[in-house]
Amino acid sequence: MTATASVAAANPLRAGLRLPRTPQACAVVVFGATGDLTARKLMPALYNLARERMLPTGFSVVGFARREWSDEQFRAAMKEAVAKFSREPLQDEIWDSFARNLHYVRGDFADSGAYVRLGERLAKQDHAHGAAGNRLFYLATPPTAYAEIAHRLGEAGLSRGGPDGGWARLVVEKPFGRDLASARELDQALGMVFRERQIFRIDHYLGKETVQNILVFRFGNGIFEPIWNRRYVDNVQVSVAESVGVEARGGYYEEAGALRDMVQNHLLQVLALVAMEPIASFQGDAVRDEKAKVFRAILPIGDVSAETVRGQYTAGAILGEPVPGYRQEPNVAPDSRVETFVAMRLCIENWRWAGVPFYLRVGKRLPKRATEVAITFNRAPLQIFREMAGIAPAPNLLVLRIQPDEGISLRFGAKVPGTRSDVRPVTMDFRYGTSFGVEPPEAYERLLLDAMIGDATLFTRWDGVEAAWELLTPVLDTWAGGASPLRFYEAGSWGPEEARQLIEREGREWHRM
Amino acid sequence: MAPDVASIERLAEEPLAVDPGAIEDEFNRIWRDTAAEGYDSSSVRLRVLNLVAVGRGDEAVAAFDAAMEVLPQRHPCRGILALIDESTPRLASSIGARCWRSPAGGRHVCSEEVHLRAPAAQHQELASAVLALLVPDLVVAAWLIGVAPDDELAADVLDAADRVFLDSARLGDPPSALQAIAAVARKHEVEPTDFAWGRTAGWRELVAQFFDGDDGLAQLRRIETVEITCATPRLTSEAMLVAGWLVSRLGLSLADLSCAPDRVEATLYERTRGVTLHVRAAPGGPPLPLQHVRITTPEATRSLELHAESGHLHVRERWADGEARRTVQATPEDDASVLNRSLDALGEPDVYAEARRAALALLGG
Repeated sequence: MTATASVAAANPLRAGLRLPRTPQACAVVVFGATGDLTARKLMPALYNLARERMLPTGFSVVGFARREWSDEQFRAAMKEAVAKFSREPLQDEIWDSFARNLHYVRGDFADSGAYVRLGERLAKQDHAHGAAGNRLFYLATPPTAYAEIAHRLGEAGLSRGGPDGGWARLVVEKPFGRDLASARELDQALGMVFRERQIFRIDHYLGKETVQNILVFRFGNGIFEPIWNRRYVDNVQVSVAESVGVEARGGYYEEAGALRDMVQNHLLQVLALVAMEPIASFQGDAVRDEKAKVFRAILPIGDVSAETVRGQYTAGAILGEPVPGYRQEPNVAPDSRVETFVAMRLCIENWRWAGVPFYLRVGKRLPKRATEVAITFNRAPLQIFREMAGIAPAPNLLVLRIQPDEGISLRFGAKVPGTRSDVRPVTMDFRYGTSFGVEPPEAYERLLLDAMIGDATLFTRWDGVEAAWELLTPVLDTWAGGASPLRFYEAGSWGPEEARQLIEREGREWHRM
Repeated sequence: MAPDVASIERLAEEPLAVDPGAIEDEFNRIWRDTAAEGYDSSSVRLRVLNLVAVGRGDEAVAAFDAAMEVLPQRHPCRGILALIDESTPRLASSIGARCWRSPAGGRHVCSEEVHLRAPAAQHQELASAVLALLVPDLVVAAWLIGVAPDDELAADVLDAADRVFLDSARLGDPPSALQAIAAVARKHEVEPTDFAWGRTAGWRELVAQFFDGDDGLAQLRRIETVEITCATPRLTSEAMLVAGWLVSRLGLSLADLSCAPDRVEATLYERTRGVTLHVRAAPGGPPLPLQHVRITTPEATRSLELHAESGHLHVRERWADGEARRTVQATPEDDASVLNRSLDALGEPDVYAEARRAALALLGG
């Protein structure tokens, strides 16, 4: 999803090649370099990019964290991490070449002196690697540290790139705030130091191949877009089901809950890709502009009690194994009222979608892991087979499966062989894994590469984040006020009964995943 | 078979009469048997293209087999091998299926194979059988395995092809091989995909990477010298195509040329700028059709070097007071991998055609 034409024109050698461009020589500075995200995701992603020749020669990584590590200790820890978590096996010769450019700076996030040392280290590397002062600062830290780190970077003069006119970009992980006020506060804090075009808010869902394929499916084919509107679509469902509980993240989850953890970012981003208007090109901010229009067109949730359901799992069984309830999980309060399940109904008030309900559903400890978008089409205008077969054929259903078993299926009615005119639903299936046998790159590989190149298409922009919080903060406030009760559901079920009622009262049902 | 793939394979032991209807019936029987033997509903028969390989002898059979080991994982297809075989008295066929399942689970995906053999005298019958067995409405990719494009059977198949794959490195010395490919493009109105060109893709990516960004672009306009080396007794298609690619992409014109089977020395220019090009065959060690590319500007020297033992590419940039180095994985260059990759891309025919024309000019053609 990059602007290929203009770049190919810039570098004539790029014409026809796999990538329209690769990053300029740069240093990636990882704050929180000794943490889990760095080990599991960032370093394996960077290694795989290097292995596949997508990183420039003057590329380097600087880890920044509190731990007393040397460069060598950092390299050894990262080697272990890559060996364990990389999607491709570690090759020693390539690792050795990659590791030569790994460095470590020890420092507290609030220590100005550490940022001076970081600046000196970067300047030294610019000289050694020809990196021209290009820096990507990646905040793999708790969100509470974001504002502090940004402030210190600005203070040390690092937010403007190196003295040779290089660029500086800041990558922040979700959650971006915990409500509208805190998100605005954080945006303001980052905005004091970095401009919006320098800030890359990562939502790893957008790096998934199958999420990107939503755009290809819609705008790369001629037959779907004409029926992608209120005249043909009855309802749209975006569902994220997880069979796992909160595992070791009880402490985090107690502060977040499903609405903040999943709906505010992943589900609304997917919804926007499904609902947005076509773009003319991938140039500039085209995709993010169209997504922002969708966010602005979502009607505020007027009656939170009626339009949303929040639930929390109790003890039950997953795949035949007993599992504890949420309140029995480690680091969870025994009387916690944090939601692990959310269902809600949204309306997009624009020409394309007026009157079409969008149902969102997300939950932990559901029977299986699946992320899907289900688009149910209107029934045929004349039900001629209802009289002959006694039952109306099921409406056409298009399912975009994002994970696992990524693919697309279309349900339609077919005549059952025989003398009667019985109609039975059948499906046409496309499976990513069987049509494209290679493993797709990890979402972080794509997103890191785009951030280094400076392509923000797959990153969330502030107006989108703000609109999402504007929509959901009243829901959080209402829930906090106790107006909408917390419903309980047994682990291994599809959520509270009220979630079923939310959709069935309108004569519809949840797509069976 | 790639290590991450579970396979079932079955090829009818007895040659079949070449009756397309009977062959389709036999395929249907295989799918029924597959289902009955426990591969059940988790098997799916999938075809996204027709791959027609044309060749002679054991080399063609081995190349086709190797491709069908990996191709169906990414490009499930009906693969048809049309083989000129003088030991076969009459046109005969055998069929089979290859199924794979990713280690992550999911369904078996099954591709189909048809082997057709006939003596050269029956090339028309062989070609007609190929045409009858093509799955309708799917792309036809013709792959010539060591067979010249003007071979009678190849010519018949090329007429039905949407895409043509061949390898200039197997069609003789670079001048005649590249001329032969140019003739295919003219005669069949389809720009062939040259495996030799495909094998240079990783090199071209890395060379292009040297010149990304504003600084890189400025450097691109200041190139003084280009040196390309192949570790073979004579120049290779790969080395000449990389040279031709650089000349054509940079819009350079030829001012002076000296060429021999093992070297090309050229002086090129664009407006007032002059560039010196050296392409050399330097045998020694294992043969490498492309071993070394070095590009010099007044500010820096950038080089790529393939290490035969590790198969890795060493990338180096040196300037007055510094140096940056890295090692990357070279792109797999076997036929199956190149074919697999080439089928991914819609193609870069103009870039290739211009590179080929420039290469021919450098060879005095």
